Amino acid sequence: MLTEFGKIFIFFLLGIGLVAAGLVTAWLLRPARPYPEKRATYECGEEPIGSPWVRLNVRFYIIALIFLIFDVEVVFLFPWALVYRNLGLFGLFEMVVFLGILFVGYAYVWAKGDLSWDKPTPQIPTLHSRVHFSEGDLQTPSEQRR
Amino acid sequence: MVTETILQQLVLFVPELILTGTFCLILLTGAFTKLRDYGTSTLTLIGSIAAFISVLPTIGVQKSLFAGMIAIDSFAVFFKLFSLVCLIGITLFSLHAGELKLVRTRSAEYYALLVAMTLGMFLMASATHLLMMVLAMELTSLSAYVLAGYTKEAADSSEASLKYILYGAVASGLLLYGISILYGLTGSLHYTTINHVLAVEPLSRVPLALVFVLLLVGFGFKISAVPFHSWTPDVYEGAPITITTFLSVASKAAGFAMLIRFFKLVCVNPVASVEAGYSIPLLPIDWQLLLAVLAVLTMTVGNLVALWQENLKRLLAYSSIAHAGYMLIGVVSFTDKGIASVLVYLVVYLFMNMGAFLVVMVVANKTGSEDIRTYRGLGSRSPFLAIAMTVFLISLTGIPPTAGFIGKLYLFAAALDAQWYWLAFLGVLNSVLALYYYVRIIRNMFLRESESAVPNISLTSGEVLLLGALLVPTLVFGIFFSPIVEIAQKSIVMLGVP
Amino acid sequence: MIVDVLTWLQQPGLSHFLIVSAIVFALGLYAILTRKNAIMVLMGIELILNAANINFLAFSRYSTHSLDGHIVALFVIILAAAEVAIGLAIVLNIVQNFNTANVDEIDRLKE
Repeated sequence: MLTEFGKIFIFFLLGIGLVAAGLVTAWLLRPARPYPEKRATYECGEEPIGSPWVRLNVRFYIIALIFLIFDVEVVFLFPWALVYRNLGLFGLFEMVVFLGILFVGYAYVWAKGDLSWDKPTPQIPTLHSRVHFSEGDLQTPSEQRR
Repeated sequence: MVTETILQQLVLFVPELILTGTFCLILLTGAFTKLRDYGTSTLTLIGSIAAFISVLPTIGVQKSLFAGMIAIDSFAVFFKLFSLVCLIGITLFSLHAGELKLVRTRSAEYYALLVAMTLGMFLMASATHLLMMVLAMELTSLSAYVLAGYTKEAADSSEASLKYILYGAVASGLLLYGISILYGLTGSLHYTTINHVLAVEPLSRVPLALVFVLLLVGFGFKISAVPFHSWTPDVYEGAPITITTFLSVASKAAGFAMLIRFFKLVCVNPVASVEAGYSIPLLPIDWQLLLAVLAVLTMTVGNLVALWQENLKRLLAYSSIAHAGYMLIGVVSFTDKGIASVLVYLVVYLFMNMGAFLVVMVVANKTGSEDIRTYRGLGSRSPFLAIAMTVFLISLTGIPPTAGFIGKLYLFAAALDAQWYWLAFLGVLNSVLALYYYVRIIRNMFLRESESAVPNISLTSGEVLLLGALLVPTLVFGIFFSPIVEIAQKSIVMLGVP
Repeated sequence: MIVDVLTWLQQPGLSHFLIVSAIVFALGLYAILTRKNAIMVLMGIELILNAANINFLAFSRYSTHSLDGHIVALFVIILAAAEVAIGLAIVLNIVQNFNTANVDEIDRLKE
């Protein structure tokens, strides 16, 4: 007598078995002749430059955190939606209050600019030197002649 | 109808609603107006005073709200008023705090989180359902994690918040796991139902012991009892000093409220207690002895490590660990007298500990250091500050005629009354031990000359007023203590306790 | 023997879930105690919270037959999300200040 979980368990075993069988057969049959070009990372035919472990912009991280919070709160909406008919107007009001408090947080995040993407601000190079320059020192010879 | 009763019960929930409203209002103000520090702190003060006034009508009410989630009773009201007094005090402290001046632009977050913490403490004190308890504890803790790292540009502060959240999250995870097993064993999350099942059904001891150990981790973390205290010194040292003060007083008090209510409601033998007229502990495991061992460890480790601290903030952190140990003595004795003595001690502790931290803050504002060496010669440079600090330290030691003496007296008397002689003895011994490091500070202030030329510390009128407001009760309650004792005795009335 | 195990596996009951939950709990505790990276420690904490969740759901399905456990599980999910969001924000701040997320290297506050 198989329960539903028993069936899932058999599927599970079958899945593992099939994948393993495929891999093992391929491993037994395939020739193994590696050379550097073959082992290189495939990047559309280009030669790979640098490490693939680049640092992502920290902005992604912050947006993800904010998303995480507002995303998970949806968990409360599902059970509420299921019994919405029984709760009536009171239930609606309660959820409005709940979402209202959430939106206060959202408004704060928005107003503080945590949702806006960093725009690169071009930095104009300036010269910080203790040596005192007079106006003429910084001109090129051709400019001086003029 | 369910909704109608909820609406009717909301009347008793007004203080919490006011705090929630204040929280939202402060955030919106911070986001959309140009109001900075003074604006948001004024809002906080208005909100907390409004909440204070709205708590007053619930004095004497005994009612269970929202299907047994929280209880409104004298015990909860006491802790609500207590945490509001702390909130008002800390808000006033914050206006004078030097380290916060650097981050004025984010002051809305600071005050909003302080209010959120207070809301969490309200619910911690009144929760009668394990889910409510956990959520309240998390509300307090999560706000505190952020606040500990509020001056986030300072490396110390961010390290404090990391350590706090790692320890805190592990503690709450273990607590939740314990609760899940307790739920499985008893089939309920309501304190009273759990108590009933524990009293009636024969449950196997091993899982129950596991549950109690896991729950103690959670509670122990909140009141920073040894061996769950290792976060305390680092967090107290690294966090902004206003937050340190709030954590050491209000957060600890709320932890005790939660602990006492849980043990009073869950671990009491209901039938025998009604017959005897006082609470008789239910003993699936000897949790009283467990708590007693915890109390002794907490006092002794706190005091011993405090002996060789050079940083005053860190020293006061260890001293606050030791004080949690003293208060645990009252919880262990478990009689009405014992619980009342904890409440008396908390009131006294509020004034003396906040006072000591205020002095450290004022000195750190002017000299930029919390090292004990900066206090050398403070007696001649700034006599008022030094004398105030001396009074607070004497009170923390527990020497008459200060309020600290009364607090300790009641605690030890309650322990003797409940026949915990060795516990009371060790408590007294520890107080003597504590004398050494408190006196060391006093000696530095009056008997040592400062090595380098240090500027005189001049106090602003606000600082003098605040110091005075903490100094007067510390002295007055040492002599005229019957009012707080009476209030404490009235405040131990708990819903559902015989 | 094998037949016994197979029949046991085929009839999932409370003990199956409790065992899974205990394993998840132990893995979480192991991660917390051995990992040095703060983010890994946070992951361990998530495992512990999820172990508690499995317990709540299993008990409410098999032993108490009430909805309490399901509701607690919902709240614990939110709790875990909030905790992890704050935890990651704090780790972000730590990395900016210390240039590492290794818990052992962050020890300015030691006597």
